Amino acid sequence: MSSKDNVVNPERRNFLGKVTTVAGATGAAAACWPLVSSMNPSVDVLSNATTEVDLSHIPPGGMHTVAWQGKPVFILHRTEEEINRMKELSQIEPVADEKRVQQPQWLVVVGICTHLGCVPNRSENGWLCACHGSQYDDSGRVTHGPAPHNLDVPPYKFLSADRIVIG
Amino acid sequence: MNKRFLLPLLLSLFSSFALANEIELEHDPIPTDRASVLRGAEQVATVCSSCHGLKYVQYRSLLDLGIAKETVDVWRGDKPLNSAMKPQMAPDDAAAAFGVTPPDLSLMAVAREGGVHYLYSYLMGYGVGANGETTNRIFTVTKMPDVLGISAASDAKQREEISAKAKDITAFLNWAADPRAGDRRSLGIYVIIYLLIMTILLFLWKKQIWRKIDAMEKL
Amino acid sequence: MFKSTLAWIDQRFPLTHFIKNDLADYPTPRNLSYWWNFGSLAGLVLVMQLVTGIFLAMHYKPDIATAFDSIQHIMRDVNYGWLLRYMHSTGASAFFAVIYIHMARTLYHGSYRAPRELLWWTGQGLLLLLMATAFMGYLLPWGQMSYWGAAVITNLFRATPFFGEQVVVWLRGDFQVGDATLTRFYALHFLFPFIIVGAVMIHLIALHTVKSSNPRGIELKPKDNIPFHPYYTIKDMLGVAVYLVVFSAFVFFVPNTLIEAANNIPANPMQTPAHIVPEWYFLPFYAILRSVPDLAGGVAAMGLSVLIFAAMPYLDRSRIPGGARYRPAYRFLFFIFLADMLVLGYVGAVPVTADTAIVGRVATEIYFLTFLLLPWISKKEEAYLIKRGLPPAVEEFLQNNANKKH
Repeated sequence: MSSKDNVVNPERRNFLGKVTTVAGATGAAAACWPLVSSMNPSVDVLSNATTEVDLSHIPPGGMHTVAWQGKPVFILHRTEEEINRMKELSQIEPVADEKRVQQPQWLVVVGICTHLGCVPNRSENGWLCACHGSQYDDSGRVTHGPAPHNLDVPPYKFLSADRIVIG
Repeated sequence: MNKRFLLPLLLSLFSSFALANEIELEHDPIPTDRASVLRGAEQVATVCSSCHGLKYVQYRSLLDLGIAKETVDVWRGDKPLNSAMKPQMAPDDAAAAFGVTPPDLSLMAVAREGGVHYLYSYLMGYGVGANGETTNRIFTVTKMPDVLGISAASDAKQREEISAKAKDITAFLNWAADPRAGDRRSLGIYVIIYLLIMTILLFLWKKQIWRKIDAMEKL
Repeated sequence: MFKSTLAWIDQRFPLTHFIKNDLADYPTPRNLSYWWNFGSLAGLVLVMQLVTGIFLAMHYKPDIATAFDSIQHIMRDVNYGWLLRYMHSTGASAFFAVIYIHMARTLYHGSYRAPRELLWWTGQGLLLLLMATAFMGYLLPWGQMSYWGAAVITNLFRATPFFGEQVVVWLRGDFQVGDATLTRFYALHFLFPFIIVGAVMIHLIALHTVKSSNPRGIELKPKDNIPFHPYYTIKDMLGVAVYLVVFSAFVFFVPNTLIEAANNIPANPMQTPAHIVPEWYFLPFYAILRSVPDLAGGVAAMGLSVLIFAAMPYLDRSRIPGGARYRPAYRFLFFIFLADMLVLGYVGAVPVTADTAIVGRVATEIYFLTFLLLPWISKKEEAYLIKRGLPPAVEEFLQNNANKKH
């Protein structure tokens, strides 16, 4: 039975076989895409990907939490004093305050602790994460670990002086 | 085509039974082109939506259909883009005025036996009864007035215009019932072509592998 | 590396042995027709139903307030949700079509006969599981047909002696089909397919013990068996490709053919649709149910019409091997039965009138008569065929059987 083409073991790894195998495997792989894709956010979820916020209701010193893509976003109306206090760089991830805001009196940050994803609570001089004790200042920069990074700044833009759209 | 008709259709060739109580529907072809659907959308959004909502169709999906943002903004008023197309009249008020709550139209094109043909025949089915009252031959107990005015149409040209309008409305509601049907068909063509090629390749390969067996004496 | 890994596994698990004996070198008759493709095809359909079902379950909500809406959410908003849903709904019908052809092949060629009784009975069990799964799945879209189908079928259990009413309420968890019913049907519709997978394993173990039958109905000599791979792997793949062309034509171009219009209206317990019709695959049995003008009798007749297949190995008493190949009377009976099924399907689909009631009654009688007359017909046929003279292969088979007995 040395021949490659006999009844028990017919020749099959020829050109035709290779083409068919490759074409079949490609199709099978492509057929998986709808399954994978169906787990991505659906159209109605994506259509909630931007959030419009009216800032006129937030008094100076006040904070407002809005949902953006299902996540809490903190909008802090900072007083002159708070802005001045933020001139110094923070220690853990040093970033200048100006780089984190578009207008100094409005701080917009994603309210999710960069450590393990809890929502920090507003405290005296910033935020305190109740889960593991991370602290953030009034620019959303981490001042005390274990959080490794500053709070994320979401993409947003001012539609008018007191209206922003996040996302 | 509906499965309830498939088997009887085959069997009625050699059987003497007829389906009982079937209403004769008009089987005019319902257009599927974009222009008709867009004209229908305007009719539905400005006329039908006084009473009827489409709770599964959001204003944003009208943008995907290709309707200009400005037009959709006019139709939606102060409702957000993510809002479903709601009726202008509150359902309770409509129920008080007509005696029934006007049904939602999202799935109307597929929710009746006969589908779009039922819908078109219904819109065109108004007539004048013996006592001068408006009747509908398709859905005799309907509470909806003859909005398109087919029962009062006197000449052929008028009827033609109303028929075109009814077809546009039906075309839009047909889209609304299954907005992904377009994607479905265009993907389907590629899938079928691919599968046919695979069938041919596999057929040839099978013949090649089975060559020695096929040459043997049949059992 | 690969070889040593394989050797490591083989010392602990019979992997190579399994691949060699049950997949690659598994001896298969060389004369199987394309009708033998439908067994493995059913396996593929099962996998496709499982996969699409699991992904649908990620978006479906089994709650009467949201079930109907969640289907529309799947159809409109979920990426490729329409594809998953149409594949699953079309797949249910495809599953029955494939299984019915698989059963028809078994009946036609007498593949249920000794020594394949257990193979046939495990298949029968699979059919019952499939029917239950399909029935419960049909409630999930919570349309009018879903609701009334479930209402009518659960009501059949009213025929239970003594506890009818209690059993119906217990099944529903409510006095009507309601939220409790939907949620439990969903739970069971998710569970049953995995039980089916287990039952398929048992079916396959039985198959690999007795091996495939073949159109002659006489076991082939070893030289006429060929290895499963590559011969039947490629033949099955070809069958799969043809099946997928037909399946895709339905899914992509006429997916609503098999969805009742009334099921696009949310369930309304206050109003029954004008005609309520079960899915096409239940129609013949539904017609038998309606042909008996008595609840308990109808339910018994319907149950018996499904279960009676199990008796086939004992009803067929002919010594002539196989099914229709060498047996003209058996073949005739098979086609009578097939035609009768179509008539019953038609009767099940149309509203009851005096005419259809008579046709339904007669067709039901013919249905059971084909089974009950089989012992007598098979014996008469055997005597006639032996008198007329048999083909050499059959002659040899009977001779061998006679020798074994002495």
